[in-house]
Amino acid sequence: MIKVNHLKKSFGKNEVLKDINEEFNQGEVVVVIGPSGSGKSTFLRCLNLLEEPTEGEIVFEGTTLTGLKEKELNQLRQKMGMVFQQFNLFPHKTAKENLTIAPVKSKGISQHEADQKAVQLLRQVGLGDKENAYPSSLSGGQQQRVAIARALAMDPDVMLFDEPTSALDPEMVGEVLKVMKDLAQSGMTMVVVTHEMGFAREVADRVLFMDDGLIVEQGSPEVIFSNPRHERTKDFLSKVL
Amino acid sequence: MKKSVKGIIALLILMSTFMIPGTSASAEDGSALQRVQDEGVLVVGTSADFPPFEFYAVVDGERQVVGMDMMIAQKVADDLGVELQIQDIGFDSLLPALEARNVDVVIAGMTPTAERRRSVDFSDIYFQTFQNIMVRAEDQDVYDSIESLSGLTVGVQSGSLQEELANQIPDAQIMSLTDLNDLLLALKTNRIEAIVMQGPNAVAHAENDSDLHTFVGDFELDDDDQGSAIAFRPGEDSLVEAVNESLAEIEEQNLTEEYLAEAGEYMAQTELDEDGEEIEEGFVSSYWEYFWDGTLITLLISALGVIFGLIMGSLLALMRLSKRVLIRFPATAYVEFVRGTPLLIQVMFIYFASGMFFNLPALTAGIIAVSLNSGAYIAEIIRGGINSVNKGQDEAARSLGMSKKQTMRHIVFPQALKNIWPALGNEFITIIKESSIVSVIGVGELIFQTRVVRSISFQGILPLFVTMLIYFVLTYTLTKLLNFYEGRMNHD
Ligand SMILES: Nc1ncnc2c1ncn2[C@@H]1O[C@H](COP(=O)(O)OP(=O)(O)OP(=O)(O)O)[C@@H](O)[C@H]1O
Ligand SMILES: [Mg+2]
Repeated sequence: MIKVNHLKKSFGKNEVLKDINEEFNQGEVVVVIGPSGSGKSTFLRCLNLLEEPTEGEIVFEGTTLTGLKEKELNQLRQKMGMVFQQFNLFPHKTAKENLTIAPVKSKGISQHEADQKAVQLLRQVGLGDKENAYPSSLSGGQQQRVAIARALAMDPDVMLFDEPTSALDPEMVGEVLKVMKDLAQSGMTMVVVTHEMGFAREVADRVLFMDDGLIVEQGSPEVIFSNPRHERTKDFLSKVL
Repeated sequence: MKKSVKGIIALLILMSTFMIPGTSASAEDGSALQRVQDEGVLVVGTSADFPPFEFYAVVDGERQVVGMDMMIAQKVADDLGVELQIQDIGFDSLLPALEARNVDVVIAGMTPTAERRRSVDFSDIYFQTFQNIMVRAEDQDVYDSIESLSGLTVGVQSGSLQEELANQIPDAQIMSLTDLNDLLLALKTNRIEAIVMQGPNAVAHAENDSDLHTFVGDFELDDDDQGSAIAFRPGEDSLVEAVNESLAEIEEQNLTEEYLAEAGEYMAQTELDEDGEEIEEGFVSSYWEYFWDGTLITLLISALGVIFGLIMGSLLALMRLSKRVLIRFPATAYVEFVRGTPLLIQVMFIYFASGMFFNLPALTAGIIAVSLNSGAYIAEIIRGGINSVNKGQDEAARSLGMSKKQTMRHIVFPQALKNIWPALGNEFITIIKESSIVSVIGVGELIFQTRVVRSISFQGILPLFVTMLIYFVLTYTLTKLLNFYEGRMNHD
C-alpha cells in the first residue's frame, strides 16, 4: 500500500534519514520504535509529504507522491489520516465541526451527510455527548480521541500516528490506546510511532526499530522484544522496558 | 536585491517627472475661459476661516461659505455665465490645489506677493487692505503703536505677509502659528502681547469679542504687497482678462463696500439664532450641527478606512508570506514605504496628484489615502497574527487533504483574526484620531468643523473641549464594543 524507496531527508547538513526502504501492506499494523532524535517523526511525516524528502520516492496505492502536483497530492492526503502528539484540533471549531470541515470543504460532501458521519464517529470513540464542545473544554484524552475521529472522517485507507499518547496524563493513555486497538481490529492499516511497548506487543503485526536515521532491525513483536539481534536494539529495549 | 531597489527608485523618479508638470509646460492659449464656460462651472478654492472675507453662516437654514470674497466670486461666475462652486480648503493647500487643477481659481483674501507670483498668476487687486495690531482690550491704553510693542512677544500667522511686517517691531519675539484662532487664544491667555493681523479680519474679530481691541498698525508698507487678488494657474490669460473685467465693474460701482456690509450682517447673524433673536443661546445648541456633521464624516472615513484597510491588509499580508520574491517584494516595498512616510504627505499627495488627471472629490481622496495607509499597518498586524497561529494547525489541515487556500481561509485566518482582534481595534481607534489629518484638503471632518466653529463663534477653547469629548466618546465606545465581541469570540 505504501512503498518507500531509498528515502533520504536532510535538514541543512543534518542527515536525519539515511536511505530507508520499506513497505507497508494493506491491513497491517506497524509500530515504529527508537530513541529520541532517531528520525521516527521525520520518517512518518515523509510518508504523507508533510516533510519533503530530499531523495527517494514514496509510492502510495500505485501513485508516486514525490514530485506530485499540489492538487493531486491533496487528493491523496485525504486517504492518509494523521494523528499528532499535540492533537492539533482546531480550537475555534466544536468537536463536530472539527470532523466535518475537511470532508465538506475538500471532499465536497454535503454538510448534512458530514454531520451524520461525525456524530457516528464521535460515538465510536466514546464522545457521543461532546459534539458541541470546544476543544478547550475537553481533557487531553478526549481531545486526542476527537483527533482520531477527525482523521477517520475522511475515510482514510491508512492512519499514521506520531506518539499519540506522549502528551497525555498517564490516566488518559488507556482510553486513547483502546480506540487505537479497536481501529486495528477493524482492519485499518496503521503506522504508529510510540513508546507504548505494551501496545506494540499486543497489537502490532510488525515492529520497526529505528536508530540514527536507519531502520536497524524489524520483525514480529515477539522476535523484537524477546530476541533482538542488534546491540543497539537490545540497548534501547533495556532502557524502556 | 540591491539592483531591484535601485530599479524601484529610478522608476519612482521617472514616474514623478511625468506627474509633476513643469511650469513652462502649462502655458496655454485662450482656451482656459472656453473650458470654464464649456463646463459651466467655476470652481473657486477658498479657506473659510477668515471673516469677513470668507466664513460659514446659515443662509435659508443651510450652512454656506459666505463673505465678501464669495460675493465677488458669485459676481465673476454670473458675468462668465457659469455656476459657482466653492471648495473650502486649508489656506496652505490652496495654491497646490490650484496647480493640481482641483480648483479653477483661488479667492481667499490672498496677497499677490512676489514669491507667490513666481508660481501663479494674479488678477488685478480687488481690495486694498490695511494692517492692524490686535491686543487685549484691557491693554488698549498701553499698546497703541509699533514702538509700544518693542521687545515683546508678538504672534503672526505663519507664511503670511504679517509675518514679514512683524519684523518692523523693534526686538520683538515672533511666534508663528498656522491657525488664526490659536493666535487669538494665545493672546487671550497672555502667551503673546499682540497679533499682527490683516485689517478687516482684525476688525471683524474685535467687533465680535469684547475682550479684544484692534488698531491700524503704523507699518511701513510696500504698496505692491497691499491688497487681495485672485490667483490663477500660469498662462490662463483669457480667464484672467475676463475676471479682471468683472473686478473693474466692482471697483467702478464700489461694490466691495456693499459686500463688506452684507458680510457684516452674516457675521452678526452667526451670533443669533435663526429667528435673529437672543445671542445667549447655549454654545452646543448653536453649533451642534457642525460637530454632528464632523463626527459623521470622521466615522465614515474611519470605518471605510478600516474596511478597505482590512481587505488590502489581508492581501498584502498573504503576499508577504509568499515564497516567491516577485510576489513578496512589492508588498514589502509598499508596506515599508507607507509606514515610512507621514500620513499628512500621503493625503496631500493623493489629493493633489490625482487632481492633475481627474477631479477626485476631497472626501474620496481622503478615504483612499486613509485606506491605503491603514492597509499597510493592518497588513503587518495580520502577518503577525498568521505567524502566531501554531504550525500544527496548518499541518493538521494539510494532512486532512485541505488545500493551502482552504487551510488559510478556514483554519489559520479565523484564528489569526482572533489573536489580532485587540491590535485591529487599536488600529481603528488610531484611524479615528488620525483621520483628522484629511482636514488639510478641506474634508469636513471633526477637526475641520472645529476650526469652522472656532472662527464663527469667536470662541477659542470651548470648541476644542467639545471636540475632545466627542473623540473620547467615540474611541471609548469603540473600545467597549470591541471588548464585547472579543469576549464572544473566545472559545478557549
Ligand atoms: N524541521 C526541522 N528542522 C531541522 N531539524 C529537524 C527538523 N525536524 C527534525 N529535525 C531534526 O531531525 C532529527 C530527527 O528528528 P525527529 O523528530 O524525526 O526524531 P524522533 O525520532 O521523532 O524523536 P522524538 O522521539 O524525540 O520525537 C533531530 O535531530 C531533529 O533535531
Ligand atoms: Mg518524534
